[in-house]
Formats: sequence, C-alpha cells, structure tokens
Amino acid sequence: MEDNQEEVLEIFTQDGVLITTAPATYIHYLNNVGTLLIVEYPNSNLTRCIEWKPLDLTIDSDVQDQEWTVVSTVERRRTYSGSLPVDVNRSKHLKINMNDIKSFRVSHKNQKLTFRDGKGDNVCSFIFQHGNCDGLIAVLKGILKTIVSRRDKHVYCILDDIKNPERQQLDKSFAELNLFQEQSSAYVWKFVKNFPNRPYEATMEAFSKITDIVYRGPEHRLMDSEVHNILHRSLEAIENNTTTHSHDEYELIAHVPRLPALKEYPRGRPLSFEQWKALQDSEGQVEDVEAVKLVIFRGGISSNVRKEVWKYLLDYYRWKCSHAEQQNLIKQRNEEYFIMKLQWRSMTKIQEDNFTDYRERKSLIEKDVNRTDRTLDYFAGDNNPNLQVLYDILMTYAMYNFDLGYVQGMSDLLSPILYLMNNEVEAFWCFVGFMNKVSSNFDMDQAGMKEQLQHLHTLTAFYDPEFANYLYKHDSANMFFCFRWLLVWFKRELSQQDVMRLWEVLWTDLPCQNFHLLICVAILDTEKNILMENNYGFTEILKHINDLSGNIDISTVISKAEGMYNQIVDAEHLTDAVRLIIGLPILGNTSIVDSKEASPDISDLTTNGDTDEVSYENALTHSFL
Amino acid sequence: MAKTYDYLFKLLLIGDSGVGKTCVLFRFSEDAFNTTFISTIGEDTAGQERFRTITTAYYRGAMGIMLVYDITNEKSFENIKNWIRNIEENASSDVEKMLLGNKCELEDKRQVSKERGEQLAVEYGIKFIETSAKASIRVEEAFFTLARDIKANTEKKLVCIWIIFVFLINLYIIVNHCE
Ligand SMILES: Nc1nc2c(ncn2[C@@H]2O[C@H](COP(=O)(O)OP(=O)(O)OP(=O)(O)O)[C@@H](O)[C@H]2O)c(=O)[nH]1
Ligand SMILES: [Mg+2]
Repeated sequence: MEDNQEEVLEIFTQDGVLITTAPATYIHYLNNVGTLLIVEYPNSNLTRCIEWKPLDLTIDSDVQDQEWTVVSTVERRRTYSGSLPVDVNRSKHLKINMNDIKSFRVSHKNQKLTFRDGKGDNVCSFIFQHGNCDGLIAVLKGILKTIVSRRDKHVYCILDDIKNPERQQLDKSFAELNLFQEQSSAYVWKFVKNFPNRPYEATMEAFSKITDIVYRGPEHRLMDSEVHNILHRSLEAIENNTTTHSHDEYELIAHVPRLPALKEYPRGRPLSFEQWKALQDSEGQVEDVEAVKLVIFRGGISSNVRKEVWKYLLDYYRWKCSHAEQQNLIKQRNEEYFIMKLQWRSMTKIQEDNFTDYRERKSLIEKDVNRTDRTLDYFAGDNNPNLQVLYDILMTYAMYNFDLGYVQGMSDLLSPILYLMNNEVEAFWCFVGFMNKVSSNFDMDQAGMKEQLQHLHTLTAFYDPEFANYLYKHDSANMFFCFRWLLVWFKRELSQQDVMRLWEVLWTDLPCQNFHLLICVAILDTEKNILMENNYGFTEILKHINDLSGNIDISTVISKAEGMYNQIVDAEHLTDAVRLIIGLPILGNTSIVDSKEASPDISDLTTNGDTDEVSYENALTHSFL
Repeated sequence: MAKTYDYLFKLLLIGDSGVGKTCVLFRFSEDAFNTTFISTIGEDTAGQERFRTITTAYYRGAMGIMLVYDITNEKSFENIKNWIRNIEENASSDVEKMLLGNKCELEDKRQVSKERGEQLAVEYGIKFIETSAKASIRVEEAFFTLARDIKANTEKKLVCIWIIFVFLINLYIIVNHCE
C-alpha cells in the first residue's frame, strides 16, 4: 500500500454514545449521539486517538436532561478490532490525541466517562446509552498503563506518558526501594512471611511504603523496561483490588429479594425398636413407608434396629413384602452373590495376565482396601479378616457392574455398611443399593460430580449471593473444595457413627431430593466468615475445608440445613433453577440460570462486590464448567 | 498456622494412585511412615485417573511439582508422560518439576530400572531421585532439592514473585500438608 494513503486501525468502536463535553473546536457536536472509537494510525506519529463521529440523525433530546438514567435496555453493539483505510469523513471526527489525556473518570453506574487533561480540566465526556463503558475501559486498560487515583477511586490515572508526574515518582520509588538488589530480598521475604497471617494488612503496609516515597522528591529516573512491566502489573493488581470496593456513588436500582428468616428445626428422637415394630403389620410389611422415613429424617435410627432398617432403605428388603417373600428374596440374592464371586475367584493366572482392565481394577482395590478405615478396630491390624471381606465385596461388585468397576471412594462407602451388617452378602446388596443412588459420582467423565458442584454453586448463589460472589472472585466458583464431601457423602469428614446418622437421613430423600447439597450449603454458611475475613483464595479454602474433617457437628448441620430448606422453599423469588435441583415442579416464568454471554472479564473489571445487587447478579450468572 | 516458615511454596505431588505420594509427604513432614493411611480424595495429591479433570484445578499457583512413580509398578512409570502432559496443559510453564521413583527399597520387586528413570528425567530436563518413604531414603533430599530450585528460580525473579504473593494470595505450605 502506498504511504500517502494513511492507514488506520480501529481498536474499539461503540455506538450510542452521547457527547456532553467537548473541546471548543467541536462545540457543535455537543449533546449529539454518535460512535466512539479508539483508533491507531500506524504510519503517523499521532499514534492513538479517541475519536467520536456523529450519527447523522442525532439529537436525542430526551437524553439531554436525563443523562445517565437511560439504562442498558438497548442491546450492545461493539467490535473490538478491524483495519480499514481512512474514511474521507474522518477529518470531521472529533479527535483527541491520547497523549493529551492524563486521566479518566467513570461515573453514573459506568455509563459516563470523562477524559481529563491532568490540569484540572475535562477534555470531553461521554454518556454510553447502549450498555456502559466497561468494554471501552477494558480496552483502555489494555493499551494504557493505568492506576486508580488515591484521591478518587473512580479516577484512573494514565501512567503511559513518561512525563506524567505520578509516573516519574513511581519510577523513583522503585529505584529507592532497591528491589533489584540483594538487600531487598530480606524485606520481601519478611513481607511474604507476614503475608499468610494478615494478607490484607501486609499488602497495604507494603504499599504504603511505596506510596510514601512516591510523593516525595522531584528527581526523575527512568525505569528499565523490566521494572516498568512489573510495576505496571503490580499497579494493575492494586487497581483490580481496590476498584472492587468503590460503589458509593452508584444507586441501587434492583431490589435484592430477601429470604425468610432461618427458623430452628430441632432434631427428633431416633426411630426406636418399638416404633419400628408398631409400623409393621403381622406379616412384616411396612404399610406407611413415608411415616417411617419421616421419623428417620427427623431423628435417625436407634442402633438396635438400624441394621434391619438399613436393608429397607438400601433396597435389599422390600417394604411391601411378607416374611415369606422376603426369605425367598434373600435366598435368591445369596445365590446370585456367590455366582458372581466365583466368577472372579476362578480366574486363572493366564486369564488374568491377558486381562489388563481386570488386573488394574484388582490392584486398585488391593491398594484401597489396605487404606480403608484402618484406625477403626473393625479393620485394624495386619491380616484382619474383615479386610478380606471388604476386598471380596468390592471385587464382586466389579463383576456385578463391570462398566463402573472400581473407583477410589467406593471402599469408603462400603466400610460403614460392612461394619454394621457384619455379613458379606447382606453388606454387598446394601452396598449395591447405595451405589445405585450415587453411581453417577463415579462417572468416567465426572459428569455427575460436575453437575453436583454446579448445583451446589447455584444453591449457594441463591442462598447467599455475597458469598457466592466472593467465591467467584477468588477462583473458587467451581466449588471443587467440596469435591470430597460430595464424592463420599462426608465419609472423610465424620466419625463412623456420625456418618451413619447422616446417611440414613439422606437416604430418606426428605425433605427434598439433593438434600446433601443443602448439607454442604449449611456447613459453608458456618465457615464463610472465616474464609472471607481471611481473604482466602482457592488453595486456602481447600485447605480450610479439608481441615474441617473431625470438627463437624452433624446434628447441628442437619437441622440448619432443614431450616435453610424451608427458607428456600418459602422464598418469593425461588427460581426454576433451584426448583429443579430440589425437585419442585418448575414454573417456567423465571429464567434458568445461564449466562455464557456475560463475559466474566469485563464484569469483573467494574462490578462492585460490596453491593448486594451486583453480587446477587454475578452469583447467579457466573457459570463455570 | 502456628508454625513459622522461612519460605512458603505451594507444591504438588502428582502421580498414579498408590505410588506413595501421601507417604512421601508424611515422611518429609513428620519423619514417620504410617501404613494406616487413607487414599487421598479431593486434595492436590489425588492420583486416580478418573479424578484428573478435577485435580487440574489445583495446579493453579503451584510453584513446584513432584512427579512420583512407583519403581515396582511399570504402569505408574509409563503414566508419568501423561501426567507431564497434564501439567503442561494446566500449570504455569515455569513451575519447577522433579521426578521421584518411590519405594526404592523394594529392590526385588523392581520393574523400572534406575537408568530408565534417569533417562526420562533427562528427556524432560528435570531432576530425578529415587526415594523410599518407608525406609526413609532421600525423601528430605528430594524436597530440599526442589525447594532450593524454586527458591533459586524465585530470587531471579524476586519482584515478580513478590507481586504474585501479594495479589494472588495463593500460598501453600509444603511442610504442613498432612492430616
Ligand atoms: N514398600 C513401600 N511401600 C510404600 C512406600 N511408600 C508408600 N508405600 C505404600 O504404598 C501404598 C500407597 O501409599 P500412599 O502414600 O497412600 O499413595 P498415594 O500416592 O498417596 O495414593 P493416592 O492417595 O491414592 O493417590 C501404601 O500402602 C503405602 O504403605 C515405600 O517407600 N515403600
Ligand atoms: Mg494419597
């Protein structure tokens, strides 16, 4: 291309932008609506400009007075790049050299943007009628080095210009801090050591040291590019941290619906032997299954009938069977078990050598059997015969369900069952019943686990948007830290007795399906203050949650979860997404959460986590898998 | 966090289920060997293939990764390549890596020769050590070597690290991991 044909690169364009302040030469454009552009002229020393061109029809007089009250009902139209020859009318554009801009201020719910010259004057300001200026700010941050002003948190100072006074001083401060010389390491590591205990204070302390120097001394030193980059990154990070706290200028438009108050649901008495017998007729059939389940949900099962009742809950026995039919069933199941057991027991060495899948499965089971509840008397010690039974049941299950086979965690699910039944065949069939309820936890593609984690996030977001938003901002919206809870139903967090009490409650499917997710929500609700006060990120949250093992009072958690369930179902704003999870009929009038379009990068940039409204929306819209 | 530390690193142990990751860590932190351990679920040392999609979330912020195989288990050695690929896809590229052949006291059951371990390490340009958590062989050495490499690496980029610490708040403590 010939050189005299000036090339222009449009970095950003946005329509529907009203201009409310402009330099004197462009005064005729005031209060017109048009397109805002960020352009680059690669062949010119006038490298980057903010441009604005009028939309011919313009003057939207309605807008003049109301300014920013035009809310984002209009669909956004944006493009982020594109190279084209200069259009002839370009000369008519309002054009401001980026070098003349020293700062910009965002206001009116991110719908107004004002560029300033650094001498106290506004160069131009724009109102974004289509959506807001988040996209533009993202682009500006990409091409300029910016820092949030210490005096006004809505103001971004541009550091790109070498002559910028704030920039000069920052240069100097880094030189004085001597971060690149040996002594600095002591300071940095001291800081790092302090950090885990009081991350926020440590950060602020460190930065006050920098900023103290920043505003002293006029001497000018140049940074080398490496220092400059690092400084830039650090400033960006501060900026992202601090902007999340600024929202006082904005007004809340949406009202965040509140949940009804949390009520107390004290636990009841466990199902007793007498109650159990009373609920069976002379033939041994259980008439009112729901009544039995309700008692169990409220208070669990007494240890003297637990073994028998579990067989019903886990579909080994049938609720509506007479004693005679039951006996018949037991006999059948017994035979079936030994047929399957014989299948793997009679595998020859050569067969095994030629059967990689089987061999691998066997080796996994061997390894895990040796690592299952060995601290319990029932499984303790070398050559404990119960370990052999555990092994035999898992091997037989692998034959019973070869597609699933054996996956880590299954031995945890079997252990309490075997401990209670103390009988190989009964334990096997009860284990089958349990696995039928949770086999999706062990999907090859982890789909079942992913879905539960996502549901857990949806519930958390509904119950506590602020916390869900916190998790989102700390890379934890994936809820992976609850993985172990869900995979083995809290087996690793509770004592053998407590896990049995929890499981029997969960097996009743009362008060709703997926009640185990509400158990998670209840525990998280108890822990969230610690997580948030310490500003824990993904790793610390994971560690904290793992460390809860052994410190969870399961009765308290169950009754709290029941209370939360009632809060949720009584909520006026109950969404279909939540209804689906807890098994209520959907209404079809609320949208099921899905907002793949909402770009987390951009919303993260400007949302202000301290307000309920924004956290509520964020929490609802951030999908993660 | 009662203990005090000179350095804080987030470090991961990765390898097939049962190669001895938890034992290696326990040997290092408590100088003991315990046969009553449970398999690891939902932590950053989990090994079973099925959970790989989940464990990748834990790579974030890791400064060092120990790749562990069991010298008595050929498969666990072959899988190291898969684990490395997994790391390359999910962890930051400058994370320090190290290869560990564990259970090296079980000489009579050995399926993977020391030479093959060394060769693989050379191939990937990482260090290699054979250890035994049970017999307490070179476990400390392995951790200190990796920690030293991370430290050397970090001092080169001191300020960068400092900034990461400040803002990503993603610390982990190598010596305080075991339950
Ligand atoms: N002989 C011998 N056995 C070991 C050694 N290290 C671990 N083991 C045994 O190997 C088995 C597995 O050890 P773990 O440390 O639990 O394995 P892991 O890699 O953490 O496995 P996952 O948690 O399932 O990923 C246990 O039975 C240990 O006793 C070792 O150095 N020598
Ligand atoms: Mg482990």
